Amino acid sequence: MNDVTQQRLLETFVKLADTLIDDYDVVDLLQVLVDTCRDVLDTTAAGILLADSRGELEVVASTSEASRLVEIMQLSAEQGPCIESYRSGRSVSVPDIEVSKDEWWQFRGSALAQGFRSMDALPLRLRDTTIGTLNLLRSEPGAAPEDTIRAAQAFADVATIGILHERTLRESAILSEQLQAALNSRIVIEQAKGVISHTRGVSIDDAFALMRQYARSHSVGLSIVAARIVDRSLRL
Amino acid sequence: MSESFEDAMGILERESDHPERFCDAFLSVFPVGGAAVSTIGQVLGSETIAASDPVAARLDELQFDLGEGPCWDAMRSANPVLVPMIRTSGPRLWPAFTESIVTDGVSSVFAFPLSVGPLRFGAVDLYSAEPVDLSDTQTQQAGAMAEVISRHVLRRALTSIGGDENEAVSAYSRRLVHQASGVVLAQIDVSADDARLVIQGQAFASSRPMMDVAQDILDGRLRFTREGSRIEVAQ
Repeated sequence: MNDVTQQRLLETFVKLADTLIDDYDVVDLLQVLVDTCRDVLDTTAAGILLADSRGELEVVASTSEASRLVEIMQLSAEQGPCIESYRSGRSVSVPDIEVSKDEWWQFRGSALAQGFRSMDALPLRLRDTTIGTLNLLRSEPGAAPEDTIRAAQAFADVATIGILHERTLRESAILSEQLQAALNSRIVIEQAKGVISHTRGVSIDDAFALMRQYARSHSVGLSIVAARIVDRSLRL
Repeated sequence: MSESFEDAMGILERESDHPERFCDAFLSVFPVGGAAVSTIGQVLGSETIAASDPVAARLDELQFDLGEGPCWDAMRSANPVLVPMIRTSGPRLWPAFTESIVTDGVSSVFAFPLSVGPLRFGAVDLYSAEPVDLSDTQTQQAGAMAEVISRHVLRRALTSIGGDENEAVSAYSRRLVHQASGVVLAQIDVSADDARLVIQGQAFASSRPMMDVAQDILDGRLRFTREGSRIEVAQ
């Protein structure tokens, strides 16, 4: 890891720590995390999946809203590195997707078709409970350097803390409520994308970019912007 | 007319599982003697869901059999049908129906459509032995109450026929359904929950998975439009 990368990592952690002591929007935070993984960790695409109350994993943040990337991650959550990391609570490294396990054929086909050659899945873990995974996809084959994985695991831990807040450590009921809240914000964001795509005549992917732009330039949380778009009190 | 319209709406919203109370809500707000709620036509079949008295039930049964009457017109037009004097205007509109109810002592009949989005599947029927008329406000209120009942009736029907099979199964397809709900709510100006119900109803009526309908909406192959209270679907 070179000096520039180290400097950027440091800046990112300072920024994340700042975010965590203020009021923040969970989905926004997760979005910053995946974008940082892409920009700093030499990764082509990244995404975070959270488990709902039935243990089913859903994408809550990804570096691209392109439906194909989301699909790859969902397939990986059915039969692939993502579900394996979630179940074992350990990181799963796939240096060459082409020669990955037979039963991962759907994930493999979809990932290779989109130009991805290697992947790492890291658990979002709190003590004995795994609540989701952070997934890093690269267009080159090969194992990621060890310090990259360590930095990625630190990002995954920040995500876990960000989702759960420290006061929820004690109560598992609240834990699942907060997880559900993060997943529910994602539902509203999807709905808002649909609204904007219709009113502005743009694709679903571009709709997300517009919404994010607005949230940033007005310093409002993504979830709040989405909720206001869906209840029609805000028109972009 | 002991209760206010707001109270009646509140009761209707809460009592989704008690269709027998639907009629009381109308009788408490409007100057009518009886009410009935029925599904009619292709979508959900013809069946009386609730009736406040035997005459109200008979009015709906007659309309099922004869294939004409205020309920049919309300459903087909997606608009209220107001007949304060059935003896004068009835014979021209629905000769067989009017003829059949001569001995029932009915003077006024009002029907309000049951519909969700472009799906029209029934009507609320109100009648009075004494000649009465509904004001514009009362007509709007009864229409709003019928809308609430529409959602209950469609939800119940979807559940009873195993709506779960029609549910989007994977996380990925759920995402598409949420996105499509956003498109639909912007197209016809309804809540996100109602938009989802519209997609679900559309899937049911066309015997397709919700995800396929959602994909058609996202790709612009299926569009919903609104003109006043009428919602149409264009392919």
